Amino acid sequence: MRNIGAALRGRLGAGGVSLALLLLAMAPYEAQALPAFARQTGQNCVACHAGGQFPELTPYGRMFKLTGYTIGTRVVPLSVMGVAGYAKVADTSKSDNPASDFYKNGVPLLASGSVFIAGKLTDNIGAFSQITYDNYANLATDNQYAGHTQADNMDFRYADRFIDGNRDIVFGVSLNNNPSVSDPWNTAAAWMQYVPTPSPASHQFIDGKSPFPGFGSGGNLAGLSAYLFWNQTLYAELGSYRTSKGALSFMSAGLNGASTTQLNGSNNPYWRLALSHEWGPHNLMVGTSGMIAHVYDANSDITDPNDLGRFKNVGVDAQYQYILDPHTVTVQMAYTRQTQDYSANTIANGPVDANGNPLVFVDANGNPLAPVNPSDTTNIFRAKLSYVYQARYGGSVALFNRTGTSNTLNQNSGYDPVFGVTSDPTGALGATALSTRVTGNFSGNPGTRGYTYEAFWMPVQYVRAGVQYTAYSKYNGASDNYDGFGRNARDNNTLFLYVWGAY
Amino acid sequence: MKKVKLGLAVALALAGTACSNLERSRDLANPNVPPAVTAMQVCSICHGVTGNPVSPIFPRLAGQQRDYLVAQLEQFRSHHRADPAGFEYMFGLSRNLTDAQIQGLADYFTKQVPLPGAPGDPALMAAGKEIFEKGVPEKATPPCVACHGPKGEGVATFPRLAYQYADYLSKQMHVFRETEGRPNTPMTQVAHGLSSTQVEAVAAYLQAFPTQK
Repeated sequence: MRNIGAALRGRLGAGGVSLALLLLAMAPYEAQALPAFARQTGQNCVACHAGGQFPELTPYGRMFKLTGYTIGTRVVPLSVMGVAGYAKVADTSKSDNPASDFYKNGVPLLASGSVFIAGKLTDNIGAFSQITYDNYANLATDNQYAGHTQADNMDFRYADRFIDGNRDIVFGVSLNNNPSVSDPWNTAAAWMQYVPTPSPASHQFIDGKSPFPGFGSGGNLAGLSAYLFWNQTLYAELGSYRTSKGALSFMSAGLNGASTTQLNGSNNPYWRLALSHEWGPHNLMVGTSGMIAHVYDANSDITDPNDLGRFKNVGVDAQYQYILDPHTVTVQMAYTRQTQDYSANTIANGPVDANGNPLVFVDANGNPLAPVNPSDTTNIFRAKLSYVYQARYGGSVALFNRTGTSNTLNQNSGYDPVFGVTSDPTGALGATALSTRVTGNFSGNPGTRGYTYEAFWMPVQYVRAGVQYTAYSKYNGASDNYDGFGRNARDNNTLFLYVWGAY
Repeated sequence: MKKVKLGLAVALALAGTACSNLERSRDLANPNVPPAVTAMQVCSICHGVTGNPVSPIFPRLAGQQRDYLVAQLEQFRSHHRADPAGFEYMFGLSRNLTDAQIQGLADYFTKQVPLPGAPGDPALMAAGKEIFEKGVPEKATPPCVACHGPKGEGVATFPRLAYQYADYLSKQMHVFRETEGRPNTPMTQVAHGLSSTQVEAVAAYLQAFPTQK
């Protein structure tokens, strides 16, 4: 730790460590000196966040969100958040260009920062909107990264609560840009993954980049959903998404046309149903959610109906919390089954390389591969157990397992008809089917499995320092030689350290 | 960026209209919001609509002495009561309440009917009953009944204890005994005369408060 600390200080004189120290120095031990929501309610983080670990919500935090972020007093609705990280991949030797494949490996870096506009606007309207600057967003041809700012999670809502001795009905409408970002439970796809994930390749195997149950459409959309929470027991939400364009283009602000997900029309429904029960210091939620999204292959081209594919996601999730100072225990479980129907053009063209050129792999005997499946099914399961003591010291263990159908379409490594398995970095071989190292998939199967262990410390309530270790037993469909170049799943095991602060 | 600015302008314009909805407002800085509305819309989330919370993190307010409730809210507002639960949850919620709102909230909860808590270990409860009724003579600790009444019902600024969550009572006794979080109360002296086991016993007894004599 001392070496890392020294390295952090050396590399980030004005960076991550300074940021953390600045945050520490800026804030007295007072309820007022907190991010926007805390300033609005005047409460400590632990009121809304279980054991102080944001973003996981307590029952009160969930009601704060569902009632439209309107509890409290209107204040300046601004907060900032920053993350500094350090990642080290177990084995970087099995690569012909480790400097690129594991860029910034073992190097502390100031990863990203966010500005939040969040809080109460009127008695019924509130907002949570995040704009994120990613220090390593774009990789240029000279192997240097450039920073970039773009819209992150956004949730604007109108809510009302009808309550008396006999009933309690919370009703609301959410305008948001990411399916399930409106959800108050942290097994929802948008919220289960929480530590911000730095972009450089050295961080590509950290827990935040491992499989999480989610929706095939991804974020940066524009959606409207209506929800109802009845007697704090039954939660139902129904919405639909479309491309974030026109007046709603601010929901994907900062993304260019090629990066903005293009949905077909407005008939891309999202639904959520959950049952919640509280008894003593315990609470339990069991729920289901799903989405059907019609997504164009090429974000910049929505003229060809043969470019239109379809995702169907159906999931179940459950969360148990025990919250009684000084203990906070959380058990989370989420499972999503995804059926992806590929577009006619994708099926016809088969696998392509990074430049869109066809990849013509053959098997080990030189025979052509099986034709592309028109559809794939993928199952992702994730479970996590966490414990926090005194809202200060915590740890967790998580399991993730992705299984699914094999498809030549998923293959980006294989046998070149003439040269065997090669990445041909210099172009000397003139191979027609170039394989991908490190991230390659030799089997065409998405199977990825592993564990993540984490310990964290919150010296003050808005700073969190953590150490994560993610260990893989399977990656891209195999335990050994998953990329065709001899790289094994365990070579991707990654140590990740981070400091995360908010103000 | 233009679109973002436009969005912001729209949001701020909306905010500027400051629509208020006094019958169902969760605004804690508007003196016109009736206390019963605040009790339903905000307080009830943790303390329950009838002042009987589900989670023992939060104290039972139902049937609590009115003067005690007023005094506590005033002390949260002035930061004179600064136990962890007080400053973590209540400083902010109380900071803009008017005296009239505080009195109205106290009226609301004092009128509610408290529900008994779950009984604990019989031996522990028996030991608690002994302390509640007779104190700890060898340490000159007075019995709880002396101030809190024979039914644990409290009087004026002496709180009702009967049916209160054991976890809450026990944590508050530790606050009295080990911190300056709740100053200027005879409980500082009283709590010093009780061991942790005795605190647990009396808290277990009070939570269930069986009425058989």
